[in-house]
Amino acid sequence: MRQFFSIVDNLSEVAVGSSKPLASLLVEILPPLPAFLEEYEQLLAMITACGIFVAVVPLIPLVLVLAERKVSAFIQDRTGPMRVGPWGILQTLADGVKLLFKEDLIPPYGDRVLFRIAPYIIVCFSLAAFVAIPFGAIDLGDEQYIFIVSNLNIGIFYILAVSSVIVIGIIMAGWASNSKWSLLGSLRSAAQMVSYEIPVGLSILSVIMLVQTLNMQGIVDQQGSGLHSWLIFRTPFSFVAFFVFFISAIAEVNRTPFDLPEAESELVAGFHTEYSGMRFALFFIAEYANMFAVCAIAATLFLGGWQGVLPGIDILGGLPGFVFKTLFLVFVMMWIRWTLPRLRVDQLMNLCWKYLIPVSFFNILGVGIWMLVLGADTMDMKSLGPSLVIIVLAVFILLRQVFKGVSGTKQETIPAPSI
Amino acid sequence: MVGYISNIYVGVYTVLVGMVITFRQMLKPRVTHQYPYQYEFERKDNYREIPIGYRGQLHNRVEDCIVCNKCVQICPVDCIYIDSRKPSGGRGAKLWESMNVVHLKDRKQIIGIVEGNTKKIEPDTEITISQTVPAGKTRKVSSNDVDRIVERKKVTFYMDRFDIDMALCMYCGLCTEVCPTECLTMVDTLQGIEYSEFDRASLNYSFVKPELYK
Repeated sequence: MRQFFSIVDNLSEVAVGSSKPLASLLVEILPPLPAFLEEYEQLLAMITACGIFVAVVPLIPLVLVLAERKVSAFIQDRTGPMRVGPWGILQTLADGVKLLFKEDLIPPYGDRVLFRIAPYIIVCFSLAAFVAIPFGAIDLGDEQYIFIVSNLNIGIFYILAVSSVIVIGIIMAGWASNSKWSLLGSLRSAAQMVSYEIPVGLSILSVIMLVQTLNMQGIVDQQGSGLHSWLIFRTPFSFVAFFVFFISAIAEVNRTPFDLPEAESELVAGFHTEYSGMRFALFFIAEYANMFAVCAIAATLFLGGWQGVLPGIDILGGLPGFVFKTLFLVFVMMWIRWTLPRLRVDQLMNLCWKYLIPVSFFNILGVGIWMLVLGADTMDMKSLGPSLVIIVLAVFILLRQVFKGVSGTKQETIPAPSI
Repeated sequence: MVGYISNIYVGVYTVLVGMVITFRQMLKPRVTHQYPYQYEFERKDNYREIPIGYRGQLHNRVEDCIVCNKCVQICPVDCIYIDSRKPSGGRGAKLWESMNVVHLKDRKQIIGIVEGNTKKIEPDTEITISQTVPAGKTRKVSSNDVDRIVERKKVTFYMDRFDIDMALCMYCGLCTEVCPTECLTMVDTLQGIEYSEFDRASLNYSFVKPELYK
């Protein structure tokens, strides 16, 4: 037992600063346990921290499903669900109850064991990515406690590894359904997710080079000096890396324009065609939880995590600031979904291998050179100055072209015909 | 190489153009009417014209009904239910000699006997009605308020029940075609199309009023 606890202790140790994970906070806050449980204190605190996350995190997809329907409706000039509850906020609850009542059908000639296990694998590993993401921090006395379940020293590497296991779940789901379309959908999805792991990893790499650590809390700590210290602004190459990461993350989560595996018009419903009732709901929970997780990772790595705009936890900081940044990125994902048409599978692969991967390699090279020549990992003006100037200039030129394009698409409004 | 870079540039800025357009759509007002809470039909520019002769819900002027049961026999789905019985007194017994129902413009009715001509209503005269329901009183009504005067002839059947089950009715209009007194009509105004209920039992319309025979 002692050896187990020392492993747990070591896992909670942080290389940077004296910040402690949530389990330590619980150990401090909760009343002392009776004597016979004394040596299990750390273990119980860890289990409680996990329990809190398991209780809270699956509620996020409930909110996001409704948000998606409302956002898509507003973009399409309609109102979305309005009847269930005021302004339709209880809609997801009604959907969940409906799905519970559906018949649980298992295809007779498919592989029953794999069919049952597949949704659980996908859900478990989507939720497992939340373990290493720091959500916020509070200061109690002279110790800073982070809202993180486990402050792994290999944080970001663990998250990447865990997201890759989801592909196995998808292949199992498609194979066990014993249906051509499900199989095709799942294999396309596997190809897509595996291909887009590469730009994800390479963009993360170009940012890790700036912070010299894989520890998520360490990455957030180094963005603590204000808006200019956010990793997205340190070099123009990491600015580009943010967008490469975001596009690859959309492809990782199987969202439009990359949602050929689950496209309604192409493959009935792809790999989750044969699923009904609560199993289907689990796929949806996994998709939205995964979406939230990759947005949270983008916010942590690029947008400063729970650090605010000014040093210290002020504006856009702490837990509310982090959640706001993540939800903003989720909103951008939904916005893109209802703007762009779906990509064909060969166009998808073309985009990944011929455009995103070379650009990611170029970013790594650029960040490396910037660090070497101008010292990007420190924060002198010698490196930040040119970087901010280049970023602002590039964004300005792009936006000028964008608004020129927007005014070119304006149509004359035709007056409505009178009856 | 230049084509490659220009591909990237064009790809990026066209996606952003699309996103700006969708964002602007999000800021525009929604066009959904939350029917039946938002009722947009009264506005002049949005008025839904119901054509004349439209087959809406059924309406029966029971005081004109002679209980011939033709509508019951011809209804394809048997949705009209009529219960009738003969009055006591043998053959040729009449309930009353004659009676008029004065339909006012505000949809009220006065049941009584009207002096004078009932076929043509001259404007700006006064009509005297000696009421039989409730019995005894005489009432004077200006003829501008009168919509029509119906003469009720000799009635040979008591009608206990005239129910039309609108949930069964298929709106074919056959019952209105065969009715000899044209008392059964289909409403061709807005009231003829908007009568949904929450309870299926309340779609059973009974047209017999209790004071019909008093």
